[in-house]
Amino acid sequence: MLVRGVFLYFLGLIYLLQLNLLRENRMIHVIRERHETPEEVARRLEVAGGRNRFGEANYRVIWGWNRLAWIGGKFEDRDAHGDLLREVVELRMEPKYPQVNRWHVERWVPPETYGSPREWYAKTVESANGISVAALGPYPERGEYEHCFTLEGPKGEFVQLTPTIVEHLAQAIEWARRFPKAKQRGLLYEREAREERKYEEWAYTLMDDAAPALHGVPFVTVG
Amino acid sequence: MPAQANANVIALQLEKVRDKVPLLYERDDILLTMIQQRGDVEKISSRNMRLPLQVNPGGKAGSYNADGGDLGRGSGTAYDVAQVSPIFFRFAIEITKLVEYATTGRERAIENAAKREVANGMKQFRAFLDKLIQTAGNGVLGTISSIASNVLTMSVPNGAALVYVGQTIQVYDTTLTTNRGTCNVTAADPISPTQTITVDVLPGGTVATDVIVHDGLSGASPVSLFGIKYHQNNATTGTWLNLNRATYPVQLATPRVNAGNAALTPANVRLAINKVRKALGINHLSKLIAYMAVEQEHAWENLGITVSSIIKEGGGGSANDLDLLFTGRKTMSGIPIKSSVNADQTRVDFLDLAHWGRAVLKDIDFYEVNGNTVFPIYGASGGLAASYIFYFDTAFQLWSDSPRSGAYIDTLARPSGY
Repeated sequence: MLVRGVFLYFLGLIYLLQLNLLRENRMIHVIRERHETPEEVARRLEVAGGRNRFGEANYRVIWGWNRLAWIGGKFEDRDAHGDLLREVVELRMEPKYPQVNRWHVERWVPPETYGSPREWYAKTVESANGISVAALGPYPERGEYEHCFTLEGPKGEFVQLTPTIVEHLAQAIEWARRFPKAKQRGLLYEREAREERKYEEWAYTLMDDAAPALHGVPFVTVG
Repeated sequence: MPAQANANVIALQLEKVRDKVPLLYERDDILLTMIQQRGDVEKISSRNMRLPLQVNPGGKAGSYNADGGDLGRGSGTAYDVAQVSPIFFRFAIEITKLVEYATTGRERAIENAAKREVANGMKQFRAFLDKLIQTAGNGVLGTISSIASNVLTMSVPNGAALVYVGQTIQVYDTTLTTNRGTCNVTAADPISPTQTITVDVLPGGTVATDVIVHDGLSGASPVSLFGIKYHQNNATTGTWLNLNRATYPVQLATPRVNAGNAALTPANVRLAINKVRKALGINHLSKLIAYMAVEQEHAWENLGITVSSIIKEGGGGSANDLDLLFTGRKTMSGIPIKSSVNADQTRVDFLDLAHWGRAVLKDIDFYEVNGNTVFPIYGASGGLAASYIFYFDTAFQLWSDSPRSGAYIDTLARPSGY
């Protein structure tokens, strides 16, 4: 009886400790670093990229943490070590892009790009544990803003948002959209061919470096 | 003292450039070498490399009755072992005597010929291995859809993209059981809609639906490099790195989005990326790359929501300014794009290269026998032929320790104009 009493005492102690921890956890607020797009940037983008059929800007800039999107299906929640904690089937609003601490330029895409609502649900509904969930949420009846570009430096470093940068980008994308598709395709193949030529040139240069100058023959008389 | 043979001179020239061979091979511009640099490189012996995998988590979670209730039993983490054995690959290069006679300076001619052939050979060898990475581990480079004399029309997706002119190939029946024989590619057109391969002599019995495989494979169900379609696969039957897929139908299946022969859409991309996020955690996307053929990169550009090749490749004053402002790195919904002319034209693969690696038994080098790297060729008479041969060889296999860390979209339509 004594052992059982001690055991229950410690069990109660653990329970109280956990309760206390839970209370403490409630004091922790998860704060996402959120930023609103400066009005000046939004206005200049609207001028550069125009408006869509709903009177909204074709282009917008949004901070990664601000950009949430529906994700539905069976989630496997894991701890910091990657170990599975639980599986749950549900619809969540989560950051849409992996780079949450960067500015993203998005372009509006009309609803017809996503097919009809029937096609949308046929393609996106996932079933798990007997529950069906639309993996991308409801049909985008007013279209959707899709990712164009992440503002970051050559090594992925943060680049501050300026109206000039985004306006320039929107104009360049609009300019490129006017080009015939055949030309776009040709440029992709040209790029691949250029990469191959670059490798060849580099390889021959490397080979030349490997051989001694004048093929090893001394060019200054010694002795 | 014996007279100096030309083979000795060529060998000397090869020795001069020997340390450059790995540099030529490992340049980080094709998927094969990206895997080595970002993944783990494992030196292995001729025995199989073993990859312990945590296939099921341990522990029993649940509520219990604290008022004397039974807390129940526990369980431990379940592990299994995937195994990788290396495949030997070689690339043979011949230099004829004519090359030596083609220029006036004899030593220089040999030196130039050796250097040029090393550079050319390595370029071709890398291209060959990069093509193999696109395959499903059985060495199949393409499927014949129709035959006209010695011209083979090849089925998309691979089309004629995975062969090169001069390559020796073999024809197998569609079940990979009967080897119909060997032939050489004399022409290949991987870009036009026709997708044809011309061979010198078509092996007897070749029919449409037969497949072509690379040289050196033999027997039924040949095994070659375990490429993308081997590791990124949602099959629940067959084997994966010696594990039975049926035993771990969820753990070994890569999330798939079936595009149903429709064009690439942002929804497809989000579905695929979200499948990875749901499996691995919402914020575990940092190491993914979107690997695709140039055709699908073009399809993505056609949606008009990405930085186009027009901007990146010039054609206007703004292009240079943009290059200065930005990385120019093209992305697919924020995932960096890596495109290749060899990749499957109807597929987009999201690869987490941190989970990929190469198990290497022999690093790339010249094939050597008792210190010799150059060997004479003998003519039909038994006398010497006027040429020499040397080889590159390497032995490795590709592995992935987490097939669920990626995703893929397949059966995509090719954009019009192809």
